[in-house]
Amino acid sequence: MYFWKCWRDTRSFFVVFLIIAAIVMPVAAVVGLGTHLVEDFGTSAFTDTFDLILTVVALGLGAIGAIHEFADKTAQFLFTKPRSRAYFVWVGWAVGFAELLAIAIVNFLAGWATLSHYSKNPFHSTLNGSMRAQNILNALIFCLWAYCLTYALTVLRRNGLKGLGASMGILFGFPLFAVAIRWRWHIDLPFPPDPIGSLPLAMSSIIWILVAMFFVLAAQLVVERTEI
Amino acid sequence: MNELAIASNDLVKTYGGIRAVGGINLTVPRGAIYGFLGRNGAGKTTTVKMLLGLTRPTAGAAHVFGMDVSAERMSILRRTAFVSEKKTLYPLLTASELVRFSRGFYPMWSDSAVEKYARLLEIPMKQRFEKLSNGNQTKVWLLLALSQGADLLILDEPTTALDPVSVDQLLHVLAEDGQDRGCTIFFSSHQLEEVERIAEYAGVIDRGKLLMESRLDDIKSEFRLITAAGNSLPAQTSTQVLSVAVEGNFYRYVVTQDAESFAAGLSQNGASITNIAPLSLREIFLQLVRKEQ
Repeated sequence: MYFWKCWRDTRSFFVVFLIIAAIVMPVAAVVGLGTHLVEDFGTSAFTDTFDLILTVVALGLGAIGAIHEFADKTAQFLFTKPRSRAYFVWVGWAVGFAELLAIAIVNFLAGWATLSHYSKNPFHSTLNGSMRAQNILNALIFCLWAYCLTYALTVLRRNGLKGLGASMGILFGFPLFAVAIRWRWHIDLPFPPDPIGSLPLAMSSIIWILVAMFFVLAAQLVVERTEI
Repeated sequence: MNELAIASNDLVKTYGGIRAVGGINLTVPRGAIYGFLGRNGAGKTTTVKMLLGLTRPTAGAAHVFGMDVSAERMSILRRTAFVSEKKTLYPLLTASELVRFSRGFYPMWSDSAVEKYARLLEIPMKQRFEKLSNGNQTKVWLLLALSQGADLLILDEPTTALDPVSVDQLLHVLAEDGQDRGCTIFFSSHQLEEVERIAEYAGVIDRGKLLMESRLDDIKSEFRLITAAGNSLPAQTSTQVLSVAVEGNFYRYVVTQDAESFAAGLSQNGASITNIAPLSLREIFLQLVRKEQ
């Protein structure tokens, strides 16, 4: 049904990035074999590739996985099926989220296995210190945010490229905007996954997750109210 | 039990101040084949969209099997199959994959119907939708609708792009299979011959207004073309006289309701009635629409 259709739409993208996520750290380790690169920079290389791959996947899945029924003129077909429009919005989101999570898990396990091969303490770098669970969690929150934002904007703009463009504009433009605000008015604007004001990190993380889900809810409300 | 498959009450839809549908009252009996006639832009598709909950009525109400289209959309869609005016589907899916996609939504789905109609309509099931001809794309829509086991088929211009043989097959399927299952068929069209061939009921819509709705036989028996010869005969239209054409001493009246008494009145004015003939649906439709203009 619709799960299958969403999977079919995103599977090529998913498989390509699943492979990249699985091999990036082993390949990097083989390239750096015989040097101290793995021991010294393995952990930071892992976190950087983890962040980068997941960000790209989040943006891509948000743009590909969102419902394209308005742009494709298939809305009359899909929305006369006996399911609510909310169902279609959330199924599309859930399939993309599951794929994002699968790639994150594979990338993490591949990185952990690779670094374990060279070190008894795989997430400790002689130069950069230990990687903490919070680093991984922060990367995941940012990617969830990027995914939900792109998903919602793709639905709102009714076009994957436009949604992706708008999302990238916000994700990469906002930090610059925040810097300008801080420089001019000395106000710190929060941006995921940074802590919000003086709130504890856990509370800030929950708020960022809720904001991300609100994007999808907004997309749902728009789709539900759209006249076809 | 509600005996109407579709009933609307002063159904209105406006787009930015323009009235696409201006208060129509449809009554479609259960099990009937109903032809919804109108020119392009008459309001047929907008009406269909309101019945399916794709667009919200500005005013009025509509019920399908007694269920409110605004409040009970899911229950209506479970029992309704639809063929859109725009025959667009997922371009990369094959007809077989579209069947696979659609099957799970409907508990009454019939795979034997898929096989039957795929063979009958000669649909290449393994070809991607985007690679199919326009006619075959229309056939895929019809296949999906006919296989749902729906109680109501809403077909918006279902014969678009079909060749005459396929149109013939489709009309046969609708008239035979649909009726055998007790399915109500509501189809909008401007192909009057198709409607005339299978419909029992017809409604004529123009500029968002329902000009007429009745059994097709009643419609046909109600309208007459009276040809009269004489001098200075009345040449004004009225509620009874839809149109008058004058050629020399010959007057051609299109009359609704009680043509015999109108002809008798002409005779009393010295006219000689040369012919009283029934009108085809096409002629009636044209007369109604022209009168409205």
